[in-house]
Amino acid sequence: MDIFNAAVETLNRQDLLELQNERLQIVVNQAYSHVAFYRKKFDESGVNPDGVKNLEDLRKIPFTTRKDLMENYPYGMFAVPLRDVVRLQFPLGIYGNPIVIGYTREDLKIWRELVARIMVGIGITEHDIIQVAFNYGLFLGAIRFNQSAELIGAAVVPSSIASAEVQIRIMQDFRSTVLTSTPSFALHIVETMKRKGIDPRTLSLKIGLFGAEPWPEKVRRVIEEDLGIKAYDIYGVMELIEPGVAGECSEKAGMHIFEDHFLPEIIDPVTGQVLDGGQEGELVLTTLTTNAYPLLRYRTSDVTALHYERCSCGRTMARMDRVLKRADQMISVRGINVFPEKIEEVLAGTPEIGPGYSLSVTEKMGMNDQLKVSIETSAAIQKGPEEKKAVLLEGIHLALRRALGLRVEVELVGKDRV
Amino acid sequence: MIPNSRPSADDSAFMPPHSGCGTRGVMLFTPNSELKTGFRMLKIKNIDAFFGKIQVLRRVSLHVGAGEILALIGANGAGKTTLLNVISGLHPSQNGTRIFLDVEISGWKPEKIVARGLIQVPETDKVFNPLTILENLELGAYLRRQDRAQLLSEMERVFQVFPVLRERQNLPAGTLSGGERQMLALGKALMGQPQLLMLDEPSLGLAPTLVGEIFHIIRTLNSQGTTILLVEQNAREALRIAARAYVLDTGRIILTGTGEELLSNEEVKRAFLGKDYRGKWER
Repeated sequence: MDIFNAAVETLNRQDLLELQNERLQIVVNQAYSHVAFYRKKFDESGVNPDGVKNLEDLRKIPFTTRKDLMENYPYGMFAVPLRDVVRLQFPLGIYGNPIVIGYTREDLKIWRELVARIMVGIGITEHDIIQVAFNYGLFLGAIRFNQSAELIGAAVVPSSIASAEVQIRIMQDFRSTVLTSTPSFALHIVETMKRKGIDPRTLSLKIGLFGAEPWPEKVRRVIEEDLGIKAYDIYGVMELIEPGVAGECSEKAGMHIFEDHFLPEIIDPVTGQVLDGGQEGELVLTTLTTNAYPLLRYRTSDVTALHYERCSCGRTMARMDRVLKRADQMISVRGINVFPEKIEEVLAGTPEIGPGYSLSVTEKMGMNDQLKVSIETSAAIQKGPEEKKAVLLEGIHLALRRALGLRVEVELVGKDRV
Repeated sequence: MIPNSRPSADDSAFMPPHSGCGTRGVMLFTPNSELKTGFRMLKIKNIDAFFGKIQVLRRVSLHVGAGEILALIGANGAGKTTLLNVISGLHPSQNGTRIFLDVEISGWKPEKIVARGLIQVPETDKVFNPLTILENLELGAYLRRQDRAQLLSEMERVFQVFPVLRERQNLPAGTLSGGERQMLALGKALMGQPQLLMLDEPSLGLAPTLVGEIFHIIRTLNSQGTTILLVEQNAREALRIAARAYVLDTGRIILTGTGEELLSNEEVKRAFLGKDYRGKWER
């Protein structure tokens, strides 16, 4: 397989570490002088930014959390004046204050390259036709596939939220060679093809690039076998860039983190202690090149492990295990992130119900397929007229759908059943 | 690894003498054909430097790749010249490491560093005014202890690049104009056969047409194999010819990127390229 930026992706570890060190010092200088939040954080914790001399000194810097990003909404975390920002993006589904992430023109250029690196690494070339079946409205990273595909000269079909049947028709007629979507949707396409008796060998599809939700190896096997393709994982962090932080290469031996742009660490989520390579813990990322929205030691809540041995593909960048667990309560349902806190917010707005509630998910092949919210209600409502209950249910249903971007099942239960 | 050997005078890579076309097309010095792409010729890490109690460099780290033009830009007093002086061993540095061609050169005397092929053309006092041009050029090769014939053949090549120096070779350097003096300084540095040439504000005080000429010469030298670390206040010109650049601000490196990236970077535009404006939402 080709390597998009061989000079960097196969850089020897020693030079890479030196490059990271240079860039870490620069991002610390920028954050300290341009972001009041970081200046305060450094000063309060007694860390001298000039004391960050080696990569190990990173550990002196306090973590940045999602709460910090929320508290500094909207522009408190920006390291450049707003006029330098060319895109403002807010991840959906965040509870409390929203988060707004800015990108400069250079930031977008880097991002575009990173997704292109992944594409080239799994064998996508200018001759491919890439069908992007992500929801462009709910998954802000979808557009990134367009821009990176255009960078390498491949053709893009933004088929977006078209139904599985239409997607299959497009695959047949356009002769798409690459499918990118959530793994859930890929399974849905597999099922639809089976139901309609379509033989996958009649398609031109060769490669699948899936992400935006955790998907176990058995899902990969089903997709690969039933679609006759090779399926790869792509990883991103919505508060940094999503997708494009890491991605699998043709070896499928973990996802290469782009260490020239992100400095990864693994910590114990409880003690905050940094763990060694190979140990599982929470992924912490420091941006090394981001202009508008630098993050120092950002806790991603994703649980993984890092491997620094050289990959047989020739890349020297560290690899992270595929992410199947979280260190917080967020769950992913068919590629949509759901924070329980967000559900609480919605429920708090309806006086007749709660505060108790419980969540349950129906799984499909180890992935969350359906979310059910059971909400406690008073006996008065439980025993009250059915119409009133139906109106209440409908209201909650709508409110949750609006807030989460996802249809969920809702039931009202007695106090003791939550 | 970069081989340490200097090119010999009869190296076949030299092109035959060219006449009457200024600098263009003249092969000046041997490109080091064994340069491995990606090799980091100079690596400095965590350099601190002081003037008395005032700290002028704060844990500066950067690298210069073999064969590239690296620009270092920054406002007055940012510490650019001090950094060059630290690298050359002219100014003491408190901490950090300097590795040139895989060897730690911290603590080395300036002349030893020059002999290893790291040559600086200072911003001022770059030529010996009372000495003739010829004598100045000979002094450039002082550390190289070579035979007369070799010296003359290298001088010949300098004259090809800077014909004006040949015409005035027996005049004192003090009689030269600013631009010519800059050319002599470059020629003098080239006589030392630099692996890495550090140029401190080569365009300073020159007429615009001469600035173009000097930058063209820098580019030519680079294309023929000399690695260049260029310190400039003329950020636009420097970034145009640089492969990569670092921006120094009050002793700290605050930005890095390719020349092209930094030319379009808004912060650089505001600080160095004289572009400023307010957003519509700003009062």
